[in-house]
Amino acid sequence: MIIPVRCFTCGKVVADKYEQFKSEVQQGEDPAAVLDRLGLQRYCCRRMLLAHIDIIDSFMAFATSDVVEGV
Amino acid sequence: MEITIINKQDDSIHFLVEDVDVAFANAIRRTMLTKLPAMAIDEVLILENTSVMYDEMIAQRLGLIPIVTDLDSYNLPQDCECEGKGCSLCQCTLTLEVEPEDEEVVVYSRSLTSQDPKIVPASGNIPITKLAPHQRLIIEAYARLGTGAENAKFQPVATVAYKYVPVISVDKSKCNLCEECVKICPKNIMKVDGSTLSTQNTLDCSLCEACVDVCEPGAITIDSKKNAFLFKVESTGSLSPETIVSKTAEILKTRIQAALDYANSLR
Repeated sequence: MIIPVRCFTCGKVVADKYEQFKSEVQQGEDPAAVLDRLGLQRYCCRRMLLAHIDIIDSFMAFATSDVVEGV
Repeated sequence: MEITIINKQDDSIHFLVEDVDVAFANAIRRTMLTKLPAMAIDEVLILENTSVMYDEMIAQRLGLIPIVTDLDSYNLPQDCECEGKGCSLCQCTLTLEVEPEDEEVVVYSRSLTSQDPKIVPASGNIPITKLAPHQRLIIEAYARLGTGAENAKFQPVATVAYKYVPVISVDKSKCNLCEECVKICPKNIMKVDGSTLSTQNTLDCSLCEACVDVCEPGAITIDSKKNAFLFKVESTGSLSPETIVSKTAEILKTRIQAALDYANSLR
């Protein structure tokens, strides 16, 4: 859905680094170098960003702004 | 017991402890993980949520946001005068109200407004959810102190780890400078300096012994120092690494004292 707040394994906060990671990788930088710069040294935290697929944007197409009772 | 700080950054500390045994080193680690209190959002009142994410998902994400903790001005709910009902001495209210106009908006942790200016999210850039035009999110969240024993979100540390202090020795009479060990070492510790094999940054050694396997038996030996440990403490941002270590020592001391007092009362 959206980037998890913390690394599943060690509990380091990773969510605040995702946007920078995404934009720098899109500009053609090496993901490994970007992860090193962001201070994600362990492979558990690195996979959090590397393997994440943001699907919240595809959900937005079905968004409503009405309050649905009982949901 | 002797402590040497090797490296200190804003969110982590790396230090060497000497003259302690494994049990004590592990006691420090476990106290940091489970007994040291930190703030986290524990109860969330969702007044309105028309976002694409369920209330539960938003509440869970809010809980995981590390919150800057002031251990002196807040009590653990079980030690508080209000007996855990929630008063200004053990609870802090944070509110969030977002309604985008005509474009999509990402709601960040920095939009949480706190009743106490000292109790704020440790990082303001954590995305909580994304809102489509005219969707609304109105939330009231209550942060309180808790310990890692109760829920991992209260842990002030991401990782605490200790390892043995590596001692690498090379038998120069058996070394033929083939450089196999230099190639195989994942941490680049072995180095050939002219006509001798030397070591660098030995504290980085992970004791994998790949160099021992690749070389003649007995040429390289990797040993560990007795009763010394290298600690790495990484904070989530709720407490500074120094506070984590010093508070842990205090908590461990009172717990050991309590155990001693009990043992003495049996006589």
